[in-house]
Amino acid sequence: MNNLFRLTSFRLIIIYTLLFTLSIGFVAFYLYWSTSRDFQIKVDDEIIKESIRLDQVYKRYKEIGLIRVIQDLSKTPNPNLYILRDSNNKFIAGNFSDTDSLWNLKRLDNRVVLFSYDKKNNNGEVIRKYFFRGKEFIVRNKYNLIVARDVSYENYLKERFFNTIISTSLLILLLGLLGGYVLSRNFLNRISAINRTSLEIMDGDLSMRLPTFSNNDELNQLSLNLNSMLDRLNKLMKGMKDVSDNIAHDLRTPLNKIRTNLEVTLMSNPDSDSYRETLKEVINDVDGVINTFNSLLAISRVDSGSVSLEKEKINVKNLIEDIVDLWEPLAEERGIILKNECETNIYLNGNKNLLSQAISNLIDNAIKYGSDKNIINVGSSHNKDSVILWVSDRGPGILEKDKEKVLNRFTRLDSSRNTLGTGLGLSLVSSMIKFHKGSIELLDAKPKGLIVKLEIPI
Amino acid sequence: MHILLIEDDVNAASYVIKGLKESGFVVDHAQDGEKGMEFAISLKFDVMVIDRMLPKIDGLSLIKEIRNENIDTPILILSALGEVDEKVLGLKAGADDYLAKPFSFSELLARIEVLHRRSNPDIKETILNVGSLSMNLLTRKVHREGIEIELQPREYRLLEFLMRRSNQVVTRTMLLEGVWEYHFDPQTNVIDVHISRLRSKIDKPFDGKEMLFTERGAGYALRSNE
Repeated sequence: MNNLFRLTSFRLIIIYTLLFTLSIGFVAFYLYWSTSRDFQIKVDDEIIKESIRLDQVYKRYKEIGLIRVIQDLSKTPNPNLYILRDSNNKFIAGNFSDTDSLWNLKRLDNRVVLFSYDKKNNNGEVIRKYFFRGKEFIVRNKYNLIVARDVSYENYLKERFFNTIISTSLLILLLGLLGGYVLSRNFLNRISAINRTSLEIMDGDLSMRLPTFSNNDELNQLSLNLNSMLDRLNKLMKGMKDVSDNIAHDLRTPLNKIRTNLEVTLMSNPDSDSYRETLKEVINDVDGVINTFNSLLAISRVDSGSVSLEKEKINVKNLIEDIVDLWEPLAEERGIILKNECETNIYLNGNKNLLSQAISNLIDNAIKYGSDKNIINVGSSHNKDSVILWVSDRGPGILEKDKEKVLNRFTRLDSSRNTLGTGLGLSLVSSMIKFHKGSIELLDAKPKGLIVKLEIPI
Repeated sequence: MHILLIEDDVNAASYVIKGLKESGFVVDHAQDGEKGMEFAISLKFDVMVIDRMLPKIDGLSLIKEIRNENIDTPILILSALGEVDEKVLGLKAGADDYLAKPFSFSELLARIEVLHRRSNPDIKETILNVGSLSMNLLTRKVHREGIEIELQPREYRLLEFLMRRSNQVVTRTMLLEGVWEYHFDPQTNVIDVHISRLRSKIDKPFDGKEMLFTERGAGYALRSNE
């Protein structure tokens, strides 16, 4: 409940309900007040008219005339009530002889009087209550005349009206508060559901998702957005975890090898030559570890984009020619033909070092994993909004199911477990191409082999 | 050769100092930027090796200050930040070379040697001579023992790079950077094949009188003593 009051929506609903009830109440009371005042004025007017008439009677015919007239009036059906009493309050004439009930006579300003009369049955039980409004006149200090009218029905209406206003206002207030409570509680429930889930997520369960609802309001939008953010975070976290698992594995293996090598060398009785041999092996292994680290660093640097890598206008043909020139002797030595099929005059806005390294890695892979009498084609072409670069070989290719995997970090297919490499080559290429907002595609060559196709927007 | 090493990691420094002394250098060591500055101003060195992250004055500012004092001793930066753009920052600050950690000691040694040689005033040469090998930079013709050697453009650039640093060890990374202008390591030893191609042209036809040597674990050297 305490939470409810802190809720903006609930506070708004309360304020709104109060204002609404107050204005309804104000209008209703004004109506009530003006209606009952009109009615009183009308009653009073009638009574004043009657009293003026009686006054004229008194002036002309004195007491006897007045009494006679009142006695006559009392005999006929008359909306008015007449009570004429002497100075000792003794009833003289009129159509209401039960002067005892005048004990509750209330005197207001302007000689206005109010009184009530309880009509009783034979057992003395009140069966109906009458209300009267009238005026009191003192005649020559000798007589007391009251002229009144029955206002029971009007009073009853007034009372009903008043009660209706009160109960309606209360009902509006109650409904408003209740509605506000229900709406806010619904809102609050959703908020606290989101809060609970957030807490669970903070505790480390990244698989949890915020509750969503069928109505597509702002809160639901928020939940949906937060959920997709969580999806992405989760994916990144999983990526990180995979990477660190792989680092652990890929670094532990060479480190373990180094350790064993050193230990065994110490245990045996080595001469300086075998010490030298061991040290050389260890340096070699450590270089491997450093290579893995450097590649990882390069990937995360390119991926995070935290450092602004400069872009320049690159002549694609020159870029590829330079790399082919670097690799061509090695390829030739291994009996591999490295063919360059570049279109001329293609330009690209990019980072020269990254692109060179990407293509270099692809050629390296093609040489490593291609078959003996391999032909590697490196080429480029373009369409109206992107440059396409490809490296193809005639090796065994990559199975459809492995294609996505090889772009991940540290993936080395079982068939290549025993060849040299960090398992980072293709994922480095993939990161570099992503940096250029391009895409990488692995296609099957015919009759066999792999085509790596890079598409980079101009 | 007198070397100033400014490096705050005492352990790492002690290995470098040991290695440099064993290679016949005299080494002074400063542990922070301020002490390094004092050394740099008061003594004359042949090469300075400066770590990029130093207490008190960081490496890049230190290099700028040294250059402001009109000291033009060749400077090599050591840094854990090894990317190309970081290298560019270092060179812009006034350094002559940049080596990323972790580095191989032979790489450091080779680079120090080259820096030292380079600090000698560059004479505008038109002909490079190493032993019986000569390269005319204007006609782009190469001769050994008077016989012309036909070279591909890339081989020519490779040989020029080696001849300008004759009798010094040149590492694979230095070749990649200097000849191909690549700042990444292709890992597979592509450079070896280029060297052996070059060797087959400049050494093989001359009765195995070897000039282009492979320095095990370090790189290559073109030597004049046949």
